[in-house]
Amino acid sequence: MKLWPRNVRMRLTMWYTLVLAGLLALYAGVASLFLFLSLREDFDNNLLEDVETIEGSLAKEPNGQVSLRLNHTDGAEPRVGHFIEVWSPDGTLLYRSSSLENVALGAPSSKDEGSKGDSPSTVRLANGMRVRVASSVYHIEDYRVLLRVAYDEGRLWRELGEFGEVLLLGFPIAVLLAGFGGYGLARKALAPIDAMATQSQKISAERLSDRLPIQNPQDELGKLGLTFNDLLARLQAAFDQLRRFTADASHELRTPLTAIRSVGEVALQDQKSVPEYRDVIGSMLEEVDRLTRLVESLLALSRADAGQIQLQRTHISLLALAREAGSMVEVLAEEKGQQLDIDGDASLAVDVDRLILRQALVNLLDNAIKYSPANSQISVRVGKGADNQATVDITDHGPGIPREHQAHVFDRFYRVDKARTREWGGAGLGLSIARWAVQAHAGELTLKSEEGQGATFRISLPLANNSSSSQGKGGLQ
Amino acid sequence: MRILVVEDEAKVARALREGLEREKYEVVVAPTGEEGFFLVNAQQFDLVILDLMLPGRDGLEVLSTLRKRGLDTPVLILTARDAIEDRVQGLDSGADDYLVKPFAFPELLARVRARLRRGRGDQSLRLKLADLELDLTPRKVKRAGQELQLTVREFELLEYLLRHKEEVVSREMLAREVWKETSRATTLDNVIDVHINRLRRKLDDHFDRKLIHTVRGVGFVLREEQ
Repeated sequence: MKLWPRNVRMRLTMWYTLVLAGLLALYAGVASLFLFLSLREDFDNNLLEDVETIEGSLAKEPNGQVSLRLNHTDGAEPRVGHFIEVWSPDGTLLYRSSSLENVALGAPSSKDEGSKGDSPSTVRLANGMRVRVASSVYHIEDYRVLLRVAYDEGRLWRELGEFGEVLLLGFPIAVLLAGFGGYGLARKALAPIDAMATQSQKISAERLSDRLPIQNPQDELGKLGLTFNDLLARLQAAFDQLRRFTADASHELRTPLTAIRSVGEVALQDQKSVPEYRDVIGSMLEEVDRLTRLVESLLALSRADAGQIQLQRTHISLLALAREAGSMVEVLAEEKGQQLDIDGDASLAVDVDRLILRQALVNLLDNAIKYSPANSQISVRVGKGADNQATVDITDHGPGIPREHQAHVFDRFYRVDKARTREWGGAGLGLSIARWAVQAHAGELTLKSEEGQGATFRISLPLANNSSSSQGKGGLQ
Repeated sequence: MRILVVEDEAKVARALREGLEREKYEVVVAPTGEEGFFLVNAQQFDLVILDLMLPGRDGLEVLSTLRKRGLDTPVLILTARDAIEDRVQGLDSGADDYLVKPFAFPELLARVRARLRRGRGDQSLRLKLADLELDLTPRKVKRAGQELQLTVREFELLEYLLRHKEEVVSREMLAREVWKETSRATTLDNVIDVHINRLRRKLDDHFDRKLIHTVRGVGFVLREEQ
């Protein structure tokens, strides 16, 4: 098996050559067979013509003997390689060509020999010669004789042999030429792959913007190249996102660390009273709390990314769940004089992990309360969407989200207003977590917003199968 | 009450020792798994606080050998690995409770107390602190004989604070115990602060002796003095 080449180019060539050699051999065989059959047919026709001629030369002598009067120019003998035997019905040899040197043309005659329709047959003589024998029964007056005429087959085989020699001589040349041709073709066909491989080796995480060269986007290799480039584009996007994420995360981690450090260092610079120190330590602990929560959120997201979170699904009314989430944050709305209005179709049930989906709802409501002005209204509507989906629309009357930010609000650490958000204590992960939570339930979280006219976040979730039969189940705790 | 702390991080071990000793517990610290294993076999402890990531002998290994020997000392596991499997594994090996690092000290104290008074259980239907009284049946709160009108959530919050009176209670504990929010990633801090403020208004505003105190950076405590 070691002889079998490892690279595709050589393998293709080998296969190609092997198949071609096989086909050529088959062709040569069939051609030889046909040639042989056609030659033999001519041979036999000549033989049968000769039989008739010779029959005409047979005559009965006045003494009762049968004689052969051949009118060949070269004498009384037939041509070289032509043999004649004449037998009487009782099995007596009447004539035999002298060139046969007393070798019989086959076995003594049988009864049927020479009957009509008897085609010539090949006979091996006692001296090793292969001859083609035609037999015929001939009546001279009322005397019945058996005539055998035979041709030496040597000529037939020689002609076939010459043909075979020509084929055999041409065969290796043809196979060799085909092999070289095949190798060249394979090489040419695979050249783009080589180019792609060379280019791929140059592409690394740092140079993901490079793309593979594509000679013809229509052919198979071109399509492969396009697929690769597509993959590279997605990889590049993922890497960019990761890079941005890392930068943002380290920024978010650095901010509380800086606060802890500077608060501690400044406090140590001079003597303070006990209550003052307590205050400093408390302030540092607040930052620690922020750090802890950030790490928790990142961990939750990374576990979600890794698919490690198992959903504990229960059958639950979506409106009840929305009310439950609302009850958790409504004090925040009350503090701002906002009205939190939750309503909708109570019969719509979903199969969800209550805590995880509630988290999404709480995050969205918290967001809506944060960004809405005092005394405004925040409405939550549970309804039925298209395609057997239940929807929750959370609409606020805040400043809205500018169009250019809308695509990014779900990105981790993304903030529409970088300066403002820290006072609210968020790290820009709330919407990412909410979106993950919804997507984990095969749902979707979308945003519709016009700048200056508030925003609507819509959660779409697949309805539970027997939605109407079990309304109101699994409500508030 | 003797507590064994098996913790290799010196700073954490020291903080645990000081914090627990302040609460009048007798504390023995073992910095390695081997030593913890030896101590737990040689001496009597009422509770073991066990770090899972230890040099020498893994915390889980210590725990399972301990249980195989038939010692039923309650074990509280500390773990930095916040994976569900770890928790399950820890509880399977015979831990009674676990805390994920970084934990808040009030939380640890609450768990320690709960472990040590297990069986006794604080099931009383009437809770008191100074002139504050809370009845669970019927649900009523009185301060100095005056009935206070509390919302359901405020009542639950006060009940929890009363059951943990004179203990510092972190926001995380409140979120989990009162709001039943188990995910630490969800922030209910603002919600909790608003509720505490409202409770404070109803409970303390008209009285000179304040009962609800904020411990900055840590949480809240319900107590008489100060």
